Amino acid sequence: MPLGFDIDRNLCTECLRCLAACSLTKLGRVQLPLARIAVKRRWPEIPEIRVCRFDDCPGQPCIDSCPVEAISRDARGLVLIDRDTCTGCRSCVEACPYGAIWMEENGGNYAYKCDFCGGAPACVQECVTGALVQKGGA
Amino acid sequence: MGRSSMKDLLVRIDLGNRRAEPWAVPEQLKGYLGGMGYGTKILVDEVPPQTDPLSPENKLILTVGPLTGTMAPMQPQSCIVTKSPLTGTILNCYAGGFLGAEIRFAGLDGLILEGVAPEWTLLLVEDDRVSFHSAEAVLGKSTAETEAYLREIFGPDVHTLSIGRAGEKAVAMASIFSETRTFGRGGAGAVLGSKRVKAIAVRGSRGVEVARPDEFSALVRGNMELLKAACAEEYNLVGMFSRVGTGAGMGLVNGRGALATRNHAFGSFDGSTRIDGYAYADKFYTRAIACYGCPVHCGMLHKFTRADGSSSWLRGPEYETMYSLGSDLLNGDPVVLAEANQICEEYGMDTLSSGVCVAWALEMGESGVLEEPGLELKFGEPAAILGLLRKIGEREGIGDLLARGPKQAAKASGGDLGRFMQIKNSGFAAWMPRRMKGTGLAFATSNRGACHKRAPIGAEITGQIDMDAYEGKAALVREIQDRVNAIFTLVSCRFHEFVTPPEVYPRFVAAATGRDISLKEFLAVGERIWNLERLFNIGAGLGRADDRLPERCYQPIKGEASEGAVVDRDEFERMLDEYYHLRGWDEQGNPTQGKLEQLGIPEYARLGLR
Repeated sequence: MPLGFDIDRNLCTECLRCLAACSLTKLGRVQLPLARIAVKRRWPEIPEIRVCRFDDCPGQPCIDSCPVEAISRDARGLVLIDRDTCTGCRSCVEACPYGAIWMEENGGNYAYKCDFCGGAPACVQECVTGALVQKGGA
Repeated sequence: MGRSSMKDLLVRIDLGNRRAEPWAVPEQLKGYLGGMGYGTKILVDEVPPQTDPLSPENKLILTVGPLTGTMAPMQPQSCIVTKSPLTGTILNCYAGGFLGAEIRFAGLDGLILEGVAPEWTLLLVEDDRVSFHSAEAVLGKSTAETEAYLREIFGPDVHTLSIGRAGEKAVAMASIFSETRTFGRGGAGAVLGSKRVKAIAVRGSRGVEVARPDEFSALVRGNMELLKAACAEEYNLVGMFSRVGTGAGMGLVNGRGALATRNHAFGSFDGSTRIDGYAYADKFYTRAIACYGCPVHCGMLHKFTRADGSSSWLRGPEYETMYSLGSDLLNGDPVVLAEANQICEEYGMDTLSSGVCVAWALEMGESGVLEEPGLELKFGEPAAILGLLRKIGEREGIGDLLARGPKQAAKASGGDLGRFMQIKNSGFAAWMPRRMKGTGLAFATSNRGACHKRAPIGAEITGQIDMDAYEGKAALVREIQDRVNAIFTLVSCRFHEFVTPPEVYPRFVAAATGRDISLKEFLAVGERIWNLERLFNIGAGLGRADDRLPERCYQPIKGEASEGAVVDRDEFERMLDEYYHLRGWDEQGNPTQGKLEQLGIPEYARLGLR
């Protein structure tokens, strides 16, 4: 089964539990601007949800955009950035069609994105309306 | 072991000198936990009870609590404490949305606004830095326009609060809006306006930790399971809120003959099914909008087409507004109700007190006591309802009278104050003391006037207890007041407690802050705050005579559903006596020295001295 998220933006209530859970999982604290998922409010229109689509992303342009081959797709479908190889050139940030790769500013200059929490994304467990549903993975 | 969710830091903003200083939370304040506890203690310590609410000496304190910004569900709110220009009492009011979390992300437990700005000002709070900006471009603008402007100049990621024209013009029931959520009651908008602050934008970059992460996560998981189960239940009130919003309960209230209608003359409204939560969900495009971190998402965004063909959006109306701008005005038109709500939002006014003023003006109009050129003052008349609301916001004609609040409006116009549904000058929330005696006592004894937040509404309206009985209500009201005050130190959403057992709160506090506290101690914090508020109000000149219901409550309700239901004066006074006794107060409602010593606040007896 392809790996990724079933996203229904119509069901998103903009509660941001997904961002809170993401930052808590990745950083040990709630810090929404550093989450690997973003929900952009566009009232009265439905929000925009920015997160890596994994196998649903046609061509996965971030991988090819990286001049140092720091981004790769593994056998399970996880698209991951190798921090040790990343030079912080921002090519992937520009290439991502979903606006779902960000730059870490403090203590280095690396790109970061959703890593699907290795198979069971913390964000999905917090989504009570089913706007964000896991496909594939553990 | 992580770090406490509380940052032990507020920012004191001296508006007159355009200076902001970080203020470390003193040790003795920490026992008040946060939120309403912090706000109340700071206000009673720093603002004398006789202070003119609209003078530079009044302060406005905006706080959050130990669970704000964490993963704990239903904790989005922030709390404002100030002296109210409407009631002359200490005031606490609350708004949900995202502002509370953003204050916490800024690394703060709150802001203290002092003095008066030399010119109309916008405040930008970025972490603990505060900058002062001109508000000239948005003077006279609506709350929505003002907040859009803040996002334009400060960036799309700020969270905001603002006042509209009503706050600028010191309308006594002006509210402070925060992205369609409202610090509704008691005229906090007029206080902010008196300080010449049009709006505040907050952006935080900091993270939020908790003292005991594993314990905290387990509590969050448990609480989320409870809430999800409640949301899945067909007849759970919180579940109904999550499906159609707070207007879900109107049918139940109407069926019990307790839906205040036509300025509280009647207890049921035959138009209720046209304006309740189900009607809005059924007839209009609806999208659920949550506050920060909330799985219940009771906010409903609706799209309307007005009579003139134009379309508009509104998040709401909420249940209380369906009463105050609906049934109480005999207004069964959902689009007119939405427009009335929008006018309150545009001007920045409390839908409850504004609606109550309109209801009274319509009744006085029909009795020939009041008139206004160009408006036919008649219940159910859309032009009168919308026109009066605009006139209050503009302080025009009769609206200028009503903008001063019930007592002054009645006095200046010669209208009947006994039919003005107010207590301590604050308009009634959506409940009828004649049908719900405990709720009546809660309204009468509330420290902020006719307030529904600390009343046995659920137990009475669902029939869990006899709604018409007086017996046992004094003890129940006292217990709810203390418990809800304690919960408001966390600034939990009022609906959180509908599902969450009381013992969970001290556990949450301990896991978030590392401060162990028993349920008994937690509830004692609530009681301590209640007594501080009472002392402040006594010092401000209030007493037993202000703990009474308006005259209409002693006259029978009309109409079939609850024909004849009434408050008996002697029974009510006995209930009040019992309530004072249970509180450890004297027969005039003054806290005794013994009670204050028991609560560990004997030094505050001075507050009550006039």
